Amino acid sequence: MSTIVLPKEIKGASHDAHGHHELSFWRKYLFSLDHKVIAIQFLFLSSFFLLVGGLLALVVRLQLGWPDHTGWFYKSMASVFSMIFSQKMITGGIILPEFYNSAFTMHATFMIFFAVMPFLMGTFANFLIPLQIGAGDMAFPRLNMASFWLAFIAGLVMLSGFFVPGGAAGGGWTSYPTLSAIPELSGVTWGQNLWLFSLLLSGISSLLGAINYITTVVNMRAPGMSWMRLPLPIWSIFITAVLLLLAVPVLGAALILLMFDRTLGTSFFIPHGLLVAGSPLTGHTGGGQVLLWQHLFWFFGHPEVYIMILPAMGLTSEILSVFSRKPIFGYKAMVLSMSGIAFLGFMVWGHHMFQSGMNPLLGTTFMISTMLIAVPSAIKTFNWLGTLWGGNLKFTTAFFFAVGFVAMFAIGGLSGIFMASTPVDIFIHDTYFIVGHIHYVLFGGSLFAIFGAIYYWFPKMFGRMMSERWGKVHFWLAFLSFNGVFFPMHILGINGMMRRIYDYTGYAHLSHLQPMNAFMSVCAFILGLSVLIFLFNMIWSIFKGPIAPVNPWHATTLEWTIANPIPHGNFAEMPRVFRGPYEYSAPNTPGDADFYPQNVPPPGFGSAERTAH
Amino acid sequence: MNTSITRKLSYLLSLFLIVALVSCGKKKEDDDDAGDAKDGAATTVATVDMANGATISGMIKIDGAVPAGKPIAMDADPVCKAAHSAPVMADHWMVGSAGEVANTFVYIKDGLGGATYAAPASTFTINQQGCQYDPHIFGVMVGQKIEIKNSDQTMHNIHAHGEKNEQFNEGQPAGTPVKEKVLDKEEVMIPIKCDVHGWMNCYAGVLKHPFFAVSGKDGKFEIKGVPPGTYTVTAWHETLDGKGMSVDQKITVAAKDSKTVDFSLKGQ
Repeated sequence: MSTIVLPKEIKGASHDAHGHHELSFWRKYLFSLDHKVIAIQFLFLSSFFLLVGGLLALVVRLQLGWPDHTGWFYKSMASVFSMIFSQKMITGGIILPEFYNSAFTMHATFMIFFAVMPFLMGTFANFLIPLQIGAGDMAFPRLNMASFWLAFIAGLVMLSGFFVPGGAAGGGWTSYPTLSAIPELSGVTWGQNLWLFSLLLSGISSLLGAINYITTVVNMRAPGMSWMRLPLPIWSIFITAVLLLLAVPVLGAALILLMFDRTLGTSFFIPHGLLVAGSPLTGHTGGGQVLLWQHLFWFFGHPEVYIMILPAMGLTSEILSVFSRKPIFGYKAMVLSMSGIAFLGFMVWGHHMFQSGMNPLLGTTFMISTMLIAVPSAIKTFNWLGTLWGGNLKFTTAFFFAVGFVAMFAIGGLSGIFMASTPVDIFIHDTYFIVGHIHYVLFGGSLFAIFGAIYYWFPKMFGRMMSERWGKVHFWLAFLSFNGVFFPMHILGINGMMRRIYDYTGYAHLSHLQPMNAFMSVCAFILGLSVLIFLFNMIWSIFKGPIAPVNPWHATTLEWTIANPIPHGNFAEMPRVFRGPYEYSAPNTPGDADFYPQNVPPPGFGSAERTAH
Repeated sequence: MNTSITRKLSYLLSLFLIVALVSCGKKKEDDDDAGDAKDGAATTVATVDMANGATISGMIKIDGAVPAGKPIAMDADPVCKAAHSAPVMADHWMVGSAGEVANTFVYIKDGLGGATYAAPASTFTINQQGCQYDPHIFGVMVGQKIEIKNSDQTMHNIHAHGEKNEQFNEGQPAGTPVKEKVLDKEEVMIPIKCDVHGWMNCYAGVLKHPFFAVSGKDGKFEIKGVPPGTYTVTAWHETLDGKGMSVDQKITVAAKDSKTVDFSLKGQ
């Protein structure tokens, strides 16, 4: 194992007893090199964009619930939103169609790139990697800091889209050309450029993070922390970092090419002879391919889905094992199935393009490779159930969310199999069925896991406990209202309701769906309330929560061996790892405890070693 | 990593980003400058002398067969369909029994020496009613305030395809307050369409002077207050391909003159 030299600011007492010194406010809280501070910075950044994305989701739901802009609920909420948004977005109590387009586009963009991804691969990757592998910090603390600040700037650039003429990007989070390439088509001018530039920055940030995580996990594991003793969150983050490293550059290339098409007059994605409102397009020679974007985007986009779910799986595995007081069922199978999902994830992008025009034989190939993903996913699901089975269950909020994750992921995974089938997908493509599916995976899946993980690791992050009572209120409100919003989406989709539609009531076959949409929208507002309760609980607990014990959950992994607050450099002494991370209720656990921490030597270890010497 | 190398790299990256941002923004600025320079050639603000100005009037007639009108199928939107008791004909050609042509935009194309007139304080209204634009052909002055109204209980989309004026593409659901727009560059004609209802279109002629008119159902038009001079008067009529046809005529008028100039537009 090679040696990584950490900057002086990072080195802990164990590494440099005399090097520890007080840092200025700027270096300690803003431009910090400490992975824990950067993790918390990512936590606040993601929470802020979770709020922004959530607010935009409520705009979308308000419009869909009452497309005729009547009813007391619509009117009262529209008047509240009128105070937040400008006259160009909501005027006379009416959500304007352009703003609606921007709202759903930016909702998805913020949630994917600025909430879920930085929660998982910013907050938890940063917080957990050094603490769980027994390292003083990341391999490249400065890259780590750059990664956060690039993400921060990217977020501001993305947000600024709302303040430029023409409004924020409105061509959907997939930004298909020609809609995204030709401003005349969407009416969006600078907003789309900012979207592209922001995602490019965010992509660089992700790459910096990925390089850092991979290097740290490979090189900086504590003695005894073999690959098969790594906690599953670390495995999941490691695999995800590899995915990021391979997938994000492809998106970067696509973003740059689209930026060229928009600003330099190139035609990578603009076909020859394109008519815009009946007139030939001027300013472009044409000759490009709209399908090129779709291939590039989805070559990134499908691994991206796994980037957002694999770390969530890792976090959930940890929580389920701890609160079942049982070893994770099938540790090796869990690792292999995550690797399998990641590998297959690169071979399935064509399933997003069944309707775009494709050789049917190729469609079949993509259909089969997509269905194969069900195998490792099912292995994981059964292993989670196996972990729960017969466990001494502790019903904490984190546990509730982890179980919620498994249940919701199962629904999202099953609806995914519907879509993987080419003939079925032709029927439900671009309908609300797809919207339902993605939210079961990304909200019921990833976000539930993130909520659970925040409840679980909060005591180590802030040295205080979050309120369990309000956590349960959050869970039940979120769980019930989540299903109220997203389950009916499958029904809407089967009825043919198109995604991204502003007013479906103009269609005779859809107008009867308004009451169902109104119910979903009310549930969406309750879901929004539950997230507010969560954020309030989090902020309140940082200052007023009960002081957390060192190991409140009686967990085995290394982070729970460090006293709060965790010092720079993390470990006073280099930890030594003697066993895997899930030794719960094992017959040989020391004393009364039902868990065997990774760093506790087996009985007689010291004497045996002395004897050997 | 070596600190100084990291620092240098970050400086280089920042420089690159700044250059990229500046060059992205520059193209637009250059375009704007070019537009201003062109407009800057005529900065005189003239006033219309209605008492001493000449009047140009005339008649627009069709030469040849009247292109057959087609009824518009409004079935796609029940609100549009319910707004009309009889089939609505596409209003590309509104021709009277004696061949008189309505909806022809007549204007002084040349001869005013680039004089600019102050835009009227009055607001011009475009109404979307029965899923049609009212008026279908119209002229406004550069800088004149235009308000766009939706009187229908359905959503419309106003998509203006100006080549010199900035394009806009905005939805207007039922009940939305009027939208206000200003067209700030001379351009004849700007096609305006509704992307929701494919049949809905209208054309705007934007001029720096007020010497324009649109022929009525009787085919007649009248332009008043024209200063003495020799002018090219142009009649523009839309065509099915959207490009429009125009016919020019030279005319010389003295103060208080009243001259007639008739136009003949080629039919099928």
